[in-house]
Amino acid sequence: MPELIRVRPTKIELVKLKRRLSLAQRVQKIVKDRLSILTMEFLQTARDTSEAKRKLLDEFAELYRALSVAAGHHGYMALEKELIATEADLRTTVGSRNIAGVRIPSFELTANTKPKIGYSLANTSSWLDRTAQLSEESLRAIVQLAELQRSFDLLAMEINRTKRITNALEYIVIPALQATISYLNMKFEERDREEKARLKRVKVLVAQG
Amino acid sequence: MVNTGLPGRQKRLSDLLEERYPHVICNDGSTHIFKKSELEYLASLLDIDEQKALPLPMLIELGANQAEAAVICEGEIEEKVVSKALNMPVKCKGMRIRIHKPQIALLRKKLKTATVYVFSPRTVTETAKPSSNHLISRPMGK
Repeated sequence: MPELIRVRPTKIELVKLKRRLSLAQRVQKIVKDRLSILTMEFLQTARDTSEAKRKLLDEFAELYRALSVAAGHHGYMALEKELIATEADLRTTVGSRNIAGVRIPSFELTANTKPKIGYSLANTSSWLDRTAQLSEESLRAIVQLAELQRSFDLLAMEINRTKRITNALEYIVIPALQATISYLNMKFEERDREEKARLKRVKVLVAQG
Repeated sequence: MVNTGLPGRQKRLSDLLEERYPHVICNDGSTHIFKKSELEYLASLLDIDEQKALPLPMLIELGANQAEAAVICEGEIEEKVVSKALNMPVKCKGMRIRIHKPQIALLRKKLKTATVYVFSPRTVTETAKPSSNHLISRPMGK
């Protein structure tokens, strides 16, 4: 049995309660819509995250393989010597975007217009070029995964919050309003009946008098 | 409350392509950033004149009818973009392109930052009367 809202039993309060009920029902519809959209986005993000993770692991495996071959070809000392002058001018554009009222971070690795190779092309093999290329791809995948992972967490939190709002509306606010409206209606009907009985009694007394 | 994060104004694709950090300011004061890769994808679908006419972000209206949604559009350009993104023909009627829920996921997958959701209490219908003829100068989410 839902708890009644404490209000004065007047017609004005009844009208106010009816308005509140109609508003609560409209809000519930919108919140439910939002919840379904958030769930859809969450599932899509989950799929993308899992795909990005798999892709990143594959890229890492390939990168380590290429790095091992390059290290084997040049030797660790020579490789380190070559790579010491390597400069990576990487820029990430960080911003936020909005998904159904949730602020989601957005990361994008800005592509270099002029890729800078720090090592000497004459003294190194194509294995090192391949390693450098794969490491750039891995960086891109890391940035993408970071964005997806954070979106995943934020969407999950927002879904929980929205579920609580939906449940509060569905199981507490709306039933309480409905119960109070029905209680007030019964109270007014009872008053009408009392009034009728009183008038009948007065009529009888007047007739006798 | 759910529409507070809507962009205050839409920008044309051609303008966004020229910006270093393409973004729009939302009604709550935050920024909504566009991914350059998405803008480039959209630019690849459209010619120069169409790029000048496409307002971004595109608005996906979600109404009381939970099975359907609508992309609010000005004309044929959005129709072309949505058709190519969904890989199926769509029709613009009464400034709305009606799409089904599963198609929203497809559209969002391709255009994550170029589309935003608008929650509307009314039912999305074909004959929905547009509130304005010129979306670009219309403040949204109020």
